[in-house]
Amino acid sequence: MAEKKVDVLIIGSGHTGGMAAKILTQKGIAVTMLDAGPAIDWEKDRTLKAANQLPYKGFDAPGRHPHIFQASEFSANQWVDEKVIPYNYPAGQQYNWVRVRSLGGRSPYWGRQSFRLSDFEFKCKDHDGFGENWPISLKDLAPYYDRVEEIFQVSGHHDNLPQYPDGNFVEDNSPWSPAMQRFVDAGKKMGVPVTKARSARGRDGMAASLNLLIPDAVATGKLTTITNAIVRKITTDKNTGKVDGAIFIDRHSHREMVLKARVVIVACGTLETTRLLMISGLANSSGLLGHHLSDQIYGAGISASVPEARGGKPGVIGGGALIPRFRNLETKTPGFMRGYAVNVSSSPGPMDPRWFPEYGAALDKKLDEYNGSGFTTNIMGETLGHYENHVSLNKAVVDAWGMPTLTISTKYGTNEDNMAKDMVDTTAAMAEAAGFEVLVRNYKYNPPGYSIHEQGTARMSDDPKKGVVNQWNQTHDHKNMFITDASVMVCAGWQNPTMTILSLAMRASEYLAEEMRKGNV
Amino acid sequence: MKRREFVKGLAVTAAATTALAQQKKASPNAANPVPNTSTLTQGEQAVAPNNASAPAARQRQARMASFKTPNIPLSEPDVVAVTDVRYFTPARYATLTRFADLLVPASQGYPGALQAGAPEFLDFLIGASPADRQAMYNDGLDRLNADCLKKSGVSFAKATAAQADAAVRPYLKGWINDHPPIEKHENFIALSHRDIREATMNSVAWAQAAEVSGERVSVGMYVHPLDPGIETWVNHGAPKASAPLTKQAHS
Repeated sequence: MAEKKVDVLIIGSGHTGGMAAKILTQKGIAVTMLDAGPAIDWEKDRTLKAANQLPYKGFDAPGRHPHIFQASEFSANQWVDEKVIPYNYPAGQQYNWVRVRSLGGRSPYWGRQSFRLSDFEFKCKDHDGFGENWPISLKDLAPYYDRVEEIFQVSGHHDNLPQYPDGNFVEDNSPWSPAMQRFVDAGKKMGVPVTKARSARGRDGMAASLNLLIPDAVATGKLTTITNAIVRKITTDKNTGKVDGAIFIDRHSHREMVLKARVVIVACGTLETTRLLMISGLANSSGLLGHHLSDQIYGAGISASVPEARGGKPGVIGGGALIPRFRNLETKTPGFMRGYAVNVSSSPGPMDPRWFPEYGAALDKKLDEYNGSGFTTNIMGETLGHYENHVSLNKAVVDAWGMPTLTISTKYGTNEDNMAKDMVDTTAAMAEAAGFEVLVRNYKYNPPGYSIHEQGTARMSDDPKKGVVNQWNQTHDHKNMFITDASVMVCAGWQNPTMTILSLAMRASEYLAEEMRKGNV
Repeated sequence: MKRREFVKGLAVTAAATTALAQQKKASPNAANPVPNTSTLTQGEQAVAPNNASAPAARQRQARMASFKTPNIPLSEPDVVAVTDVRYFTPARYATLTRFADLLVPASQGYPGALQAGAPEFLDFLIGASPADRQAMYNDGLDRLNADCLKKSGVSFAKATAAQADAAVRPYLKGWINDHPPIEKHENFIALSHRDIREATMNSVAWAQAAEVSGERVSVGMYVHPLDPGIETWVNHGAPKASAPLTKQAHS
């Protein structure tokens, strides 16, 4: 049989797999990209329906996605079913693992908040002594952020705040609505910056690898894409210790295929990447693979009503804002390390009935009276990537393709509790100072995993004893294997990680192309 | 047919069915070709050349491939039938019915929970739910009834609006995001209230009322099962040597 070998194998087609495919193919390198799921036909696979037309009337099949708070009966089929690919966690340590298996990965469902990390994150240990510094700083990544922001059409306002680095924005100079202006002013008096949100506009209704990155790779004629290809193992050459390809299983038929590659890029998303590396027995000379799992806390916040806007009075309310981290920068806040950001939103639409302790006709009356006056704040808080927050292989439980599953052992603590409390009290005080009526204060936050920002389990370090990859996302143990997803993140920050992992993937891919040209990889 | 002629016929079929492919310039390195729209596989053509090359068979395949779905309007079962009630005990179901009527009465041309069949639907939904959700409902309904008996001396099912309010109001709490109140009975009141509202407003009766009033029921983007395959394997197991009869054995 004829021998086949591809130049670069990319496992995963989400944001970072797509970015690696784009950069490498544009440098003339042939790339094969595998995704474990099908390709969605966005015309045929989706239909506009009313909830009464669905089998469970919008409730979804009971118990179908117990850990995906984001799932509804409308979206249920787009998420991975945990009965097909199980995972578990120690009693009392709930983890919400939110997964997608289809071409483009989770990128089509991304919330699109687009932030740069600052040197408060890159040099976090220098600042407060916890964790490790990244081997790079904002200066190293800034040119890549510039290009990624251009591709994703990030809108934002230049604010000149060191903890909220400005970027290459489609400038947002829209005025605040009167209600939001009052909240901004209330913040000023309390030393809390309230800025414009930063968000990727994308193109044609989407901001995903699917439409912004992979098509560029296709246009080069250098990309081979295979869907329904579940990688069971990354293989190594016994003589050199280098990786030399992968074994994958066809999702439907279970036919096993052997693929040989000069270079392997692992971009399966943090925990799937970690699982695959553990199963393959790779990249763990440091013993740190799977440790330092972190993300952000979501769910705590307030809801309020802007009195002047009630009854749907136009021109009073509307628009969102972002409060970037403001705690523990120049001063020290008792009770917790690091900081949080806040999503602020106001809407002239209907009010949420859950906000009112009422029912029946009295509730209807409240909803009419308060209509159009809703205001909410929601936390995005940095969590600490302790060594103990880790994942391990569970060989006793295998998934539908016979692969060992993950045990996820992580929990939040007093740092997160105190941070959430500070956030709710501070934003409630700001809302009241702005003249709003606070309806609900919620100090409880969602379980880890909910933000879908899991990261840190294959972190970056110049020291092979302290990290899994070097500053170029290249694994210390295997020179021809790279990891591009958020598992390489060293500390979470409060920021949505997408812009950062896209920029890291771009930087790593250009480095790899140059190393391949020189014959070093 | 002689071997040579078969191969020639095969080439014609291939040329006809991949006309689209010819129009788009295939890239030299891409290993994924433009899909062939033929309904006959190359394998079938090789194994059964008569089938493959017979003009009548090919025309029939082409006609079948171009068949378009006829437009047949479909209805929801709720238009003509009601949900069979079978999960809750009669006492609990009576409490649920009174509770649903209290929380979401009919108003302004729209059905209330009772007209919308919400108690019946929740009987089905909770009956099909995990044990913890069933326990939440059963305990919560029992508690409502017990509180009402204690305060007003009547069962919740027979309570007046004022008597029912006395049992419910102390436990009403506002909440946001995914965080209903933690206290057990407050939690039940909050979650069942949401369920009853949702079952009412997502009902067929509500949609019909909206149509009558000229308003629109909101719609969502429903994602169909994506290229199913996982379920097939989970339900039926992986292919094994002892597995189903081969295609030939059936034909």
